[in-house]
Amino acid sequence: MIERELTVRNKAGIHTRPASMIVRTASKYESEVFLRRDRYEINAKSVIGVMTLAAEKGATLTLVVEGDDEDDAADALEDLFENGFGEEI
Amino acid sequence: MFQKESITVDFMIRKLRDRVEVAVESVNAIDADREVTESNLHRPGLALAGYVDLFTFQRVQILGNTEHRYLRHLDPADQEQAFRNITQFDLPCIIGTDGNELPGRLVDLATNAGIPVYRTELPTVEFMASLRAFLEDQFAPQCSVHGSLVDVYGIGLLLIGKPGIGKSEVALDLVERGHRLVADDVIIATKRDEQILMGSGTDLVQHFMEVRGLGLVDIRSMFGIRAIRFQKRIEVVVNMQLWDPDKEYTRIHMVEDTHEILGVDLPMVQVPITPGKNITVICEVIAMNYLLKHYGYDPAEVFGERLRARIRDNPEGASRRRVEYFEQDFE
Repeated sequence: MIERELTVRNKAGIHTRPASMIVRTASKYESEVFLRRDRYEINAKSVIGVMTLAAEKGATLTLVVEGDDEDDAADALEDLFENGFGEEI
Repeated sequence: MFQKESITVDFMIRKLRDRVEVAVESVNAIDADREVTESNLHRPGLALAGYVDLFTFQRVQILGNTEHRYLRHLDPADQEQAFRNITQFDLPCIIGTDGNELPGRLVDLATNAGIPVYRTELPTVEFMASLRAFLEDQFAPQCSVHGSLVDVYGIGLLLIGKPGIGKSEVALDLVERGHRLVADDVIIATKRDEQILMGSGTDLVQHFMEVRGLGLVDIRSMFGIRAIRFQKRIEVVVNMQLWDPDKEYTRIHMVEDTHEILGVDLPMVQVPITPGKNITVICEVIAMNYLLKHYGYDPAEVFGERLRARIRDNPEGASRRRVEYFEQDFE
């Protein structure tokens, strides 16, 4: 199991477009992928779940990945956050 | 899991007024940013009388008829002394019930100690029951669950399973057949009592749902008020999974497994997904079977007993045709 802290870097936060990018990326892997913010831990393969986090710029989320391809999945998602989902930072 | 550790007195009073619809008046109008940390309430009779060992001062203090009458029967100097016995502690707040009023000097004592004072016309027992129920809900353990929660014939069915297995589609199908959606994808489970788990959606998502290939749909606007509800007790878990030929599925008893959420063990039905299987109807049958069992009828037990009786009383015979002969076709 991998646990990593990720910070939302883009200005607009995780709105619908970044949310679907996260879900699309997470769904490529067999591993179970969760994102946690305070009280909520949601399945990162569910777009409604990811949007529930309502994560704004600067918010810190905990990524939890478990499965055979957990390293690749965690790296891919970390890249997405690092690049600010390809949006203005 | 998530559990609130404290709420402010101000929040508690506001919610009591707005949500529980209990009329509570503020008596000394000071900043009520003190914190309430537990759901138990306390009537400080002994503390007023001077015995403050083990005084649970951190609880909301309720002054009912007994406490007010006790204070009133003292002469003014003793009254103040008695009241100081409790205001020397960091009380979250004092609430007078049953329309009782504290003498002004005592209210001033509380104000000087920074303790907010309230009063209500409601009888003590009634008020304490409402406040306790509210506080218990506030401090109840909560967690988020990935799945769909639907009220099927009054039974709260929680559909779980891997992403993409079709939970939302089954929920949608159930709604289409007249059942009511509580929430899809993210369900907040709240433990109420040792064995009761309540489920509801989130304030942001409400009754929106993602259906793969379609995108987001709003069940409430599409199907109307009859298709939704805000909360429902979670009673049965339906675990949808791809058919696994190596796995033993139950053949006689519907429910053998349990699924634990927040320490509550819920009956769980394993439903293997195979082509051509109508999961919606299966869900309805699960709910109806649960209802039957609830009212004391267990089909597996009834059939088992019938079979035992046949073996015992009728040693020569296997099963026979149900009708003796087709005399007339009444049906």
